[in-house]
Amino acid sequence: MAAVGGGGLPAYALRRLLLAVPVLFGVSVLVFAVLHLAPGDPAAIMLGAQATKEDVERLHRDLGLDQPLVVQYLRWIGQVAQGDLGRSIPLGRAVLPEVLLRFKATLVLTAGALAIAVLLGLAAGIISAVKQYSWLDRLSMGAAVTGVSLPVFWTGIMLIIVFALQLRWFPSSGMSSPYGSGVGDVLWHLVLPAVTLGTASAAALARLTRSSVLEIIRQDYVRSARAKGLAERAVIARHVLKNAINPIITVLGVQVGFLLGGAILTETVFSWPGLGSMMVRAIQARDYPLVQGGVLLIATTFVVVNLAVDLLYAIFDPRIRYD
Amino acid sequence: MTTRRAWMFALVILAVALASGADAAPPKDAIVIGLLAEPVTMDPAQVTDLNSARVTKRIFEGLVAQELGSYKLIPGLARSWDISKDGLTYTFHLRPNVTFHDGTPFNAEAVKFCYERQLNEDGPYYKTGTYPYVKGFLGNVQGIEVVNPLTVQIKLKTPLTPFLQYLAHQSLFIYSPDALKKYGKDIVKNPVGTGPFKLETWEPGVKVVLARNDRYWGGAPKLRQAIYVPIIEAQARLAAIKTGEIDLTIDVPPDSLDSLRKDPNITVAEANSSAVWYVTLNTRHPILKDKRVRQAMNLAINKEAIIRDILKGTAIVSTGPMSPVYGPFREEKTTQYPYDPAKAKALLKEAGYPNGFDVTFFVPESGSGMQQPVEMGTVIQAQLLAVGIKAKIQTMEWGAYLKKYLDAPDMAEMSWNPSIGDPDHVTYMLLSSDRFPPAFNSGFFQNPRVDELLRKGRTTVGDAERVAIYKEAQRIIADEAPWIFIDHGRQIIIHRKRVQGFKLHPNFDLVLSQVWLQ
Repeated sequence: MAAVGGGGLPAYALRRLLLAVPVLFGVSVLVFAVLHLAPGDPAAIMLGAQATKEDVERLHRDLGLDQPLVVQYLRWIGQVAQGDLGRSIPLGRAVLPEVLLRFKATLVLTAGALAIAVLLGLAAGIISAVKQYSWLDRLSMGAAVTGVSLPVFWTGIMLIIVFALQLRWFPSSGMSSPYGSGVGDVLWHLVLPAVTLGTASAAALARLTRSSVLEIIRQDYVRSARAKGLAERAVIARHVLKNAINPIITVLGVQVGFLLGGAILTETVFSWPGLGSMMVRAIQARDYPLVQGGVLLIATTFVVVNLAVDLLYAIFDPRIRYD
Repeated sequence: MTTRRAWMFALVILAVALASGADAAPPKDAIVIGLLAEPVTMDPAQVTDLNSARVTKRIFEGLVAQELGSYKLIPGLARSWDISKDGLTYTFHLRPNVTFHDGTPFNAEAVKFCYERQLNEDGPYYKTGTYPYVKGFLGNVQGIEVVNPLTVQIKLKTPLTPFLQYLAHQSLFIYSPDALKKYGKDIVKNPVGTGPFKLETWEPGVKVVLARNDRYWGGAPKLRQAIYVPIIEAQARLAAIKTGEIDLTIDVPPDSLDSLRKDPNITVAEANSSAVWYVTLNTRHPILKDKRVRQAMNLAINKEAIIRDILKGTAIVSTGPMSPVYGPFREEKTTQYPYDPAKAKALLKEAGYPNGFDVTFFVPESGSGMQQPVEMGTVIQAQLLAVGIKAKIQTMEWGAYLKKYLDAPDMAEMSWNPSIGDPDHVTYMLLSSDRFPPAFNSGFFQNPRVDELLRKGRTTVGDAERVAIYKEAQRIIADEAPWIFIDHGRQIIIHRKRVQGFKLHPNFDLVLSQVWLQ
């Protein structure tokens, strides 16, 4: 939060961005090493059983896979430094436009999931805290424990079975209808995946909101506010929430990262055309450039979101200064 | 207050979402097909996966085609052809007045251009491929000659009878030379062929839309559009076909087939395929090299039970590499391995292993054509144990598995879905000693007579003689038991009743030219 040296907010933001460079560098080394050391050969997967030994070797040469790993890494990271993420091995398309295109769909899904997490999580948490030990509290906290424990792919498939197959309220997969499109159509497709992805986050947020609010609600100044005759609603909104919000924002920032990661499974279950479903396929095909590009993009987003969260503190809590 | 406003906003969004869903009725002349994944590439020369093939085969055509529903060859872009007596020269008489989707003419020059792009490593367009072309199909070609605009001659280095079937494979389909010159490497997303459909739009990850080619030489298809959407999850495909979001799909959970058959809006179309599912046995393994041991392993497995209980009847028992779709080429009178644990034990005892032995058994978690690999592997393991063979299972993700598979495993699951309709492609490709790893004979099966027959089969012209060759090879292969023969998967395609005229093809293709919607 509070940083060394002077210069105020812009300088702080800049410093943080510069600090992101070694982080992203570390990520690049890690993802490269993990991918290349894992068993599997993109050439063999791609060429199929029809291929001869010479075919596979020629492709290795063409892709530079016959070089030592360090050489391969340096060549790749040199390209990346110049803004070139290379070309996907099986798709033959440039990686950068491909991952950016898919990333848009992932952002739509993440935003939808975040909206659900915040709406459900905050509401359940506040109600639970205000009506502590009531049946409402028990119900929402019970639901929260369940929500945190449910694996995304299970929730997703259950929602498909109930709301797509049985009730037929929502479509089972995709981001838009095969025919026709429009914002409403995307929203209609967004509901089930966003609920699937947002549930666990909502549950985590609800538990945190509850404890955070409970802590504040017992403070003297809250009692004073009540004693002044303020309506309970005003007490909660103006005095309690405002002070309880910082830990919630911190967790929200972490949740965005969690949602971006969880999107991989959700996108696969719902065939959402985002980065996640693309990455699953890219990993299966050992499409090194595409996976590396995708991971770098997600890591960058995570760094930026964390920075944004830190900057948000100042807006919600004027006591915090960045100098 | 704020919360309440947020809730109101959410409700409005939900209402908009629900309301907009109501008008999403499927159009009357566009079929929506749920694929397992979107195509990888639309450059026919480089298509190696089924999803890409299912789409690109609507856009492009070969000189030779297969009759719908069988592997019988019929004229395609060539009206007729002659093969020289020595089996080395193929002369094709091309269909006149055929144009590519970009309006340029199809002719002998175009055929030469497409094949030479792959053949000539120093040629100007060789590098337009994303990766090197698989040499298997054109590797035996000596040269291509334009005799006149509508006659093209292909000369082979050595006689190769399956060559004609190769020409019916998408790798050798013909595309517009002008389009390749124009798009270069981006040919992967700009397909221009002569087929009944042409590409309208491709939104990555979302859909591929093909539109009818009104000038198709064989008559325009009845469908105005074919829309392909990727639906990765089997349950989601099931939901989408049941609710009518899509018209046709493949690979739904086998458990759901009964309820689908009872659904009045749905047809479950089934047919045998050329696929084969087997367990490769390493014939160089100190114990598995004994034929009696391999036969005992075949006798120990209850294939009917696997098909009934795990595959829910979506396969037939396999007795060799070739399924019934090969018609006259398939030999039925081979050594049979009915479920007989007692006989298996006796054979093991005779081979000197009365108490069985230990072996490592590789199983993929999933994989193209692998059916239910883990469940099937577990049953096979249990049934081998019943006769004393302790198979230790090692499971692996598909990409890693493929590499492991070619690295001389003791025993390993595999399936083969031949893309070529010639018996050569399921026998020679998998069981000839010319095809040791990194090719696909990963059990190192080697039998001099089988080798001789399979090599002869590739060069012999004339069905009658070839039938005899392949029948003899199958009899030896079945008796030698290089694999545990398990099953031939059946093709199962689920479509809405409004889809009419659909017919299955043995190689899992989804042909649409004759399909219409009610």
